[in-house]
Amino acid sequence: MNKKHPNRSLLLFCAPALLVYFVFKLYPAISGFFYALTDWNGITKTYKFVGVSNFREILDDSYFWGSMRFTLKYVLAIVVVSNVVALILAVAIESRPKGKGFFRTVFYMPNMISMVIGGYMWMFIFTKVLYYMADNWNLKFLDKSWIGDPKYSFLAIIIVAAWGAVGYLMIIYMAALQGVPTELKSAASLDGANAWQIFWKVTFPLIGHAVTICIFWALNSGFQVFDVIYALTGGGPGRATQSAAINIYEEAFKGNIRYGYATAKSTVLFFIVLMVTMLQLRLTKRREAEL
Amino acid sequence: MKLRKIMALILAGVMVLSMTACGGKSTDTKESGKTASETGVVKNTGATEEAPKEAELNIMMSFPQYMDQWESYCKKFEEKMLAEKNIKVTVNLEMPSSDQYETILQTRLTGDDAPDLFTLHSNNIGTYNKAGNLTDLSGEKLAGKIYENVRSTVSVDGKLLAVPIESQAWGVLYNRDIFEQYNLTPPETLSDLKSICETLNSNGVTPFMLAFQEQWVPQLMTGLTLGDIVSGKLTDWLDRMYKDEGSYAEVREIFDVIDLIMQNGTDRAMEEGSEAGSADFAIGKAAMYVQGTWAANTIMETNPDMKLGVFALPINDDPNCTRVNLSTSTTLAVYPGSQNKDLALEFANYVLDDNDSSELFQSCSFNPLASCHNYESSSWVDEASEYVARGKAYQDLVLPSSVTDEQGKLLQEYYVGTVTVDDIIERLDAAFKNANSLN
Amino acid sequence: MKRKNMMVNIFVYLFLIIGAMYTLFPLLMALMNSFKTNGQLLTNVISLPDRIHFENYIRTFEKMKYLRSLGNTVLLASVSVSLMILFSALAGWKLSRTKTRLSKIIFSLFVFSMLIPFSSIMIPLYKVTLTLHLKNSLLGLSLVYAGLGVSMAIFLYHGFVKGIPMELEEAAGIDGSSSIQTFFYVIMPLLKPITTTICITNVLWVWNDFLLPLIVLSSNKKYTLLLSTNTLFGQYSSDWTAILSALILAAIPVIGFYALFQKQILKGIADGAVKG
Repeated sequence: MNKKHPNRSLLLFCAPALLVYFVFKLYPAISGFFYALTDWNGITKTYKFVGVSNFREILDDSYFWGSMRFTLKYVLAIVVVSNVVALILAVAIESRPKGKGFFRTVFYMPNMISMVIGGYMWMFIFTKVLYYMADNWNLKFLDKSWIGDPKYSFLAIIIVAAWGAVGYLMIIYMAALQGVPTELKSAASLDGANAWQIFWKVTFPLIGHAVTICIFWALNSGFQVFDVIYALTGGGPGRATQSAAINIYEEAFKGNIRYGYATAKSTVLFFIVLMVTMLQLRLTKRREAEL
Repeated sequence: MKLRKIMALILAGVMVLSMTACGGKSTDTKESGKTASETGVVKNTGATEEAPKEAELNIMMSFPQYMDQWESYCKKFEEKMLAEKNIKVTVNLEMPSSDQYETILQTRLTGDDAPDLFTLHSNNIGTYNKAGNLTDLSGEKLAGKIYENVRSTVSVDGKLLAVPIESQAWGVLYNRDIFEQYNLTPPETLSDLKSICETLNSNGVTPFMLAFQEQWVPQLMTGLTLGDIVSGKLTDWLDRMYKDEGSYAEVREIFDVIDLIMQNGTDRAMEEGSEAGSADFAIGKAAMYVQGTWAANTIMETNPDMKLGVFALPINDDPNCTRVNLSTSTTLAVYPGSQNKDLALEFANYVLDDNDSSELFQSCSFNPLASCHNYESSSWVDEASEYVARGKAYQDLVLPSSVTDEQGKLLQEYYVGTVTVDDIIERLDAAFKNANSLN
Repeated sequence: MKRKNMMVNIFVYLFLIIGAMYTLFPLLMALMNSFKTNGQLLTNVISLPDRIHFENYIRTFEKMKYLRSLGNTVLLASVSVSLMILFSALAGWKLSRTKTRLSKIIFSLFVFSMLIPFSSIMIPLYKVTLTLHLKNSLLGLSLVYAGLGVSMAIFLYHGFVKGIPMELEEAAGIDGSSSIQTFFYVIMPLLKPITTTICITNVLWVWNDFLLPLIVLSSNKKYTLLLSTNTLFGQYSSDWTAILSALILAAIPVIGFYALFQKQILKGIADGAVKG
């Protein structure tokens, strides 16, 4: 019977997954496009169709583009910092015979803890511990407004976000490194290549897939950054550290409570993310093929 | 096999949950032990033999810091209802943290999931009333008890729309001991305030406590200065703002005093939360603090010997502009579509109950605001009330809430130096116009 | 040559040790200071506590309704992930075994949606929970998580099933057991490695997610550990001893989970990512 109606039993097996998926992901995504065309707000119960005027308004919304710029800056920084650090750590740990398990356990630990919890712990470091060190140990370079000054609060956000992300990426890199056959490395070593050359000529090309995954992950989570910033600066001072997700959240739930307009903004964010990830996937795929 | 595992997982989850539920209950019984015996007595004397009716009341409040006081007040209400009306009420009291309170309330009001009673800021009464979220309380017992000057802050078109809870005259808090030590008196004009700052600075005392981490704290400076200028000088400014005919450029002089405060304040303001600011002010880290009398609770808890004073913030050299802000912040409203409206109204009345209200208000350090309140107010409250008695007070200005938010954000940015006064004026004008166009 | 190796060794270990200190620093500072009195904390944040003050913990334990929040979180995570695994294993297996056009369409539908960022669907999703009366319900929220998580899980199952030979299923099919039975008795055991991976990554996701419960759960009776901690943070912003002890209390379950299942977790994370 299965052989005769493969689609019938397919639908039967997919039904529960399709149901929750349609209701909680696809429908919200599609109806989002519709709400984006209305003036729906949080107070009144009715709303009307306003066409593309929300999108036109976004073009002139300097706060939204400001938050978008901040998000791009953040994504760039976190993709580079977390991947470089994770790769260095992975190589360093993999190349040492002792303490592998210990270091892996420690470095992954922050990833287990929610960024809200981690963010508040770091808040304590930035508002109390560093000042104590600056005042009592005469470490003047620590006496900065870590939360208040946009220059340093960006640094603070990256420090905390990298703290949370590095362990995860490191585990992926380590798994990839373990897959590199040792014979290849020893062969290269016999040919007189030094460690640096071996890494770039032999190892790195073989872990290209992991690099793609890690960059993809960092990009994707970077564009949606919310928790870290929410816990550390709340987007402030003013809007200096507001990410796109925080800007949308505030538009929807604070001040004028404009759901319709906020959904229009999130639609724009969606297309930007889509474009960037497509581009990234294409680029790295091509590189992987070349290597 | 897998299914069994999944079931086991779910079961385990349910078990943990039920265990915690029991755990929660056992801690409650300590408090309610007394309750049970009291209601027992009532039942014996009461003539009704019927089983009590059951009802639920959902209340949402933005008072996480007074959780204990309100919880026990709700317990008392439950007892009272059982004794007087033979209704077994279960009050579900929700206290979301204050920065998320509005979000949650608004989403629930739009979602037809409204609580029976909820607190709101008196400045929002107009908006909520327009959206049909408030019940007219003019006919209730409580209406007659509220003092006239407070009543007007919670009324629209003569209709009483909410029960005032927190109402105060406020300005700048100061440390009386420090002022006495250097022979200083509260300022009448901006020049006075400048010379106070000079005296304090030359004696190594920081004049102002700055705690700007939360946006609403720097925003208090605009609250006070705009009130001063509108009541003393530009009386039609706000009306014109609502008609898109005014500009913040006209009130530019408020930055004279804002600059003075920012330049003579404590360091690391952006790293200091409001509560931390109150605690630091209490232990004498600065002589003055732009903060409402609602902070008195934390201050007196940190330093019970503190001599706290209040003065009106001067903005220029015209003493007529130096006034205190008379405002009702938190009020309690009844949702018109409530399933248990009678009971909700009962609760609203109970908040200003002749017997029990004073104790509640005193335990939360709220100011007396109705004839049923018969307790002594604190010395700093009296000091502020003197300004009111001399007519040197104004009703808190009602700005669109998005503009209020914007003021807080911009003052933070102004403090860290990323915007100029011109930027602020331009952006606030735009925010006001935007809010006008949406309402 | 040997000497140079030694130097490299020392340098690398030094680097790793510094890295480890940086990683543990906030956790250790939070732990250390959570045992102090407030006065002690304000005078010196670096020193060790004079004695272990458990008062902070007792106070926050009650204030954040720890057991209730923990129970809520356990319930939420276990139900969400169970549903997710059940739904996606059923679908992923069948999608992989059926070679029709419809199968391809459904599969790409799931895969495509993995790109939709959560913030884009946040508000409409909120509206859906209102309409279906799932708001403020932990079981309702579990369904939402299942809906959000199935696409990734289906993708992983789909890939994994491709590597399993068909013979076993066919043998079971000839025995006359129905499809559903085949699935539970034959397929699910075969999928165990990938199920572990999916289980671990998603438990961590649901456990640590903040924004979705923040907008869906409004009553503090339903609060998860994270939400209770966040509320406490607003309540005691001046009292770091209370906050830090709350943070430690909130971190204990995950750290304990990590200590117990470290091997599986690290393997699961690596597998999940590499196959995705």
